[in-house]
Amino acid sequence: MALVEIRNLTKRFRKGDETITPLDSVDLDVEEGEFVVMMGPSGTGKSTMLNLVAGIDRADDGVINVGGTEITRLSRGQLADWRAAHLGYIFQTHNLIPVLTTYENVELPLLLLPMARAERRKRVEVALEAVGLSDRADHYPRQLSGGQEQRVGIARAIVANPTVIVADEPTGSLDVTTSEQIQVLLGRLNRELGMTMLLVTHDEQVASIGTRRLRLDRGRIVEDSQTSNGHHQHRLSATN
Amino acid sequence: MFRFAPYVFKSLWRHRARTLLTVSGAAVALFVFCFVGSVQQGLRRLTEDEDAQRTLIVFQENRFCPTSSRLPQDYADRIREIPGVKDVMPVQVWTNNCRASIDVIVFNGAPAEKLQSARDLKLTSGDWDAFAARRDGALVGRNLAQRRKLVVGEQFSIGEISVQVVGIFESPVPAEENLIYTNLEFLQYTRGLDAAGLVTQHEVHLTNQAAPDAVARAIDEALAVGPVATTTRLKGAFQASTLSDLVDLIGFAHWLGYACVALVLSLVATTTVMSVQDRIGEHAVLQTLGLRPTRVFRLVIAESLLMCVIGGLLGTGLALAVLAWSGMAVGAEGVTIAFRPSWQLGATGAVLSLGIGVVAGLVPAWQAARTQIVTALRQA
Repeated sequence: MALVEIRNLTKRFRKGDETITPLDSVDLDVEEGEFVVMMGPSGTGKSTMLNLVAGIDRADDGVINVGGTEITRLSRGQLADWRAAHLGYIFQTHNLIPVLTTYENVELPLLLLPMARAERRKRVEVALEAVGLSDRADHYPRQLSGGQEQRVGIARAIVANPTVIVADEPTGSLDVTTSEQIQVLLGRLNRELGMTMLLVTHDEQVASIGTRRLRLDRGRIVEDSQTSNGHHQHRLSATN
Repeated sequence: MFRFAPYVFKSLWRHRARTLLTVSGAAVALFVFCFVGSVQQGLRRLTEDEDAQRTLIVFQENRFCPTSSRLPQDYADRIREIPGVKDVMPVQVWTNNCRASIDVIVFNGAPAEKLQSARDLKLTSGDWDAFAARRDGALVGRNLAQRRKLVVGEQFSIGEISVQVVGIFESPVPAEENLIYTNLEFLQYTRGLDAAGLVTQHEVHLTNQAAPDAVARAIDEALAVGPVATTTRLKGAFQASTLSDLVDLIGFAHWLGYACVALVLSLVATTTVMSVQDRIGEHAVLQTLGLRPTRVFRLVIAESLLMCVIGGLLGTGLALAVLAWSGMAVGAEGVTIAFRPSWQLGATGAVLSLGIGVVAGLVPAWQAARTQIVTALRQA
């Protein structure tokens, strides 16, 4: 059974008299440890699918099952609980809480879980170390560069050890050099920690870090291919 | 919930000027509310407490200002014979101002032994013997002594009257603490009063079984044949009637108290709405991280509550301190209303702050909790 199972997923919007269907009966399976990159022109449903998998939007039809939980059946409150325990979300614009320090931002998702303070501290320190920001724990977002802010956002997404991480154009607001650093970091998290990721991007270079590439067009998946990273990973798995 | 306390505090501190203005607005409004409340409590005590309901005041008919009421002192003997009367205390009243004033000085002259038995006065300094022995000796109410900074041994003069302070007293009736008691003869023979053998009023203490209205009627009927006609009323009714202009004003002032409550409500609600509207995206992020809508609701309520409670407690505490320290009173025609702090007032201020804090946060909290995450993230 795949970690993420999507069946007949459909999303519609009303815009005046017109009905727009950004997702139209999509089926998809994502295995544990996969790094799925979704590409395609604007308005083809990439972000919509990401938001539906993240449980922050509601589908009109279809089923999403993540790690054995059919999230399309959950209430708003249940979905929130599920997100706290199973989802890491990396935003395009970082979306850090400006009044909280780096440490406090990363700690936020853990405050929602039954966890002792010492355990929280340990996890935050590990997450900050993973993104190379241990020395910025007491800094506020305004004291960080764009790349550092995004790394804090990534630390916040991974700190609770979620079932799946979704990233909506995580390098979209960064310069080329910083973007490359973030790509390396995301690839490393996938390879070394085995984190399952779904990432939306327009950037071919960013797409190259994934193990699998989906191309969406008019609400449907028109291309689904393994990348060289994916083959490499499969080869490594087979060798081991 | 307390895990998010730093977020709540820091969110309020983020717009500190706005927060401090709101907190100070709430403080000022609760200060005024408590002040108005203390005046109303003072009036209620004056007209409704046991002393006011079991004591009669015999005053000259159709007279209001104490300087114009002149009753024979020997009326006391005739009143004492009426069934239901336990004791009578003749009182000469002198005031520096018959009109409404917040610094009115009222002298009550009464026989020392009667005063000691009729009033539950506790001397905090000085002694009764000195009062009885010294013709110009005066017992000064604690509030007045505080307001005028009077101490035992000091000479106090106002108008034609000059007294020696021989005691400072506390009383279970706060309005008493704004009076100066002298010996009756001293006040009767004060230059300008020309009241030898005359008093302003007779204070009639009733037996436990006596019906006040019936005794009052009997007194007026018995004295109708005397040289001066009288009107006898319960002390509470007498004081309410004497202060009728002020009573109307104080009655109107309670609307001012309600206006203060409405002011705080709208002030805190406005600030909280602005704060929520500034952070639509932030609340969406928090929900994306896994905060339930109900928790977002509680966080917003906590912010509103905190502003209101801090401001409210500051205002209430300040009002109680000022009331306790200033010994303020308002008086007219020889009757005073004491502005006193009370636990009841403090508790009302605190409960009101809590209530307003919750109510003011309801709408913005509901808005924040109902945020559509995806839409809000697009706007962020």
